[in-house]
Amino acid sequence: MFTFVRLVRQRIRDMGTIKALLLTAERYANADGQKEPGAEHVVLSALALPDGTARKALHRIQADPERFQDAIAQQYRDALENLGINAPHDADLNEARPLSPGKAYRVQASAQALMERLRTIVENDQRQDVRCPLLSAHVLQAACAAEFGVAVRALRVMGAAPADLIEAAKTEVTEYLAHQR
Amino acid sequence: MINPATLPSPDDPAEALAAVVALRILADKLERNAVDRALAQGWSWSQIAEALGVSKQAAHRRLANPQSKTTP
Repeated sequence: MFTFVRLVRQRIRDMGTIKALLLTAERYANADGQKEPGAEHVVLSALALPDGTARKALHRIQADPERFQDAIAQQYRDALENLGINAPHDADLNEARPLSPGKAYRVQASAQALMERLRTIVENDQRQDVRCPLLSAHVLQAACAAEFGVAVRALRVMGAAPADLIEAAKTEVTEYLAHQR
Repeated sequence: MINPATLPSPDDPAEALAAVVALRILADKLERNAVDRALAQGWSWSQIAEALGVSKQAAHRRLANPQSKTTP
């Protein structure tokens, strides 16, 4: 019974984290000229979460979290160069106004898939340890479970192999919980 | 102009599909940029819609800046 109450409390706290995660992701998407956030914007948002485990996971595999936003733009440029298009640098296109937010909590399919994977990952960890909160490292695990898409392409541009990053993120979750004890 | 000889190989659908995504994002940004500049130069939504090949209502709904006071 006590465990159940702790789990419910943890899930309520996690809902606050999810709200912050999605609201910040939406701001990143709107600033990028997109109405709804994709998985890449959720990862950007996770890198700003205060627990810091996602950033530590990237550092653990010698990848710089500060480069992720540039890596998103770079993977677009790489893809366009494959078509023989030298895309203007973002600076040129950013003259276009940022978009206003769309309907609250509406996300692109890639972000929806990430959030579903995230729920499974966190629930599994909470079965092992009921005090385990939703951490930014969990978001990285969920992002890296995708085979394709902008988020994993950007991570690869940074030199972050998804399999290595998943392991690093799991380690960071374990260390975070060890420090909470 | 896109050179078909440089298109991603059909044997590599991941790269071809990534290029499609990048093109969509680029096209969306170019469209908003062009519409904003047209409005700044005094174009009407009717003219913009005609140039884009869509209805005036569709153009305004999709591309109008909610903060601006432009009407269709």
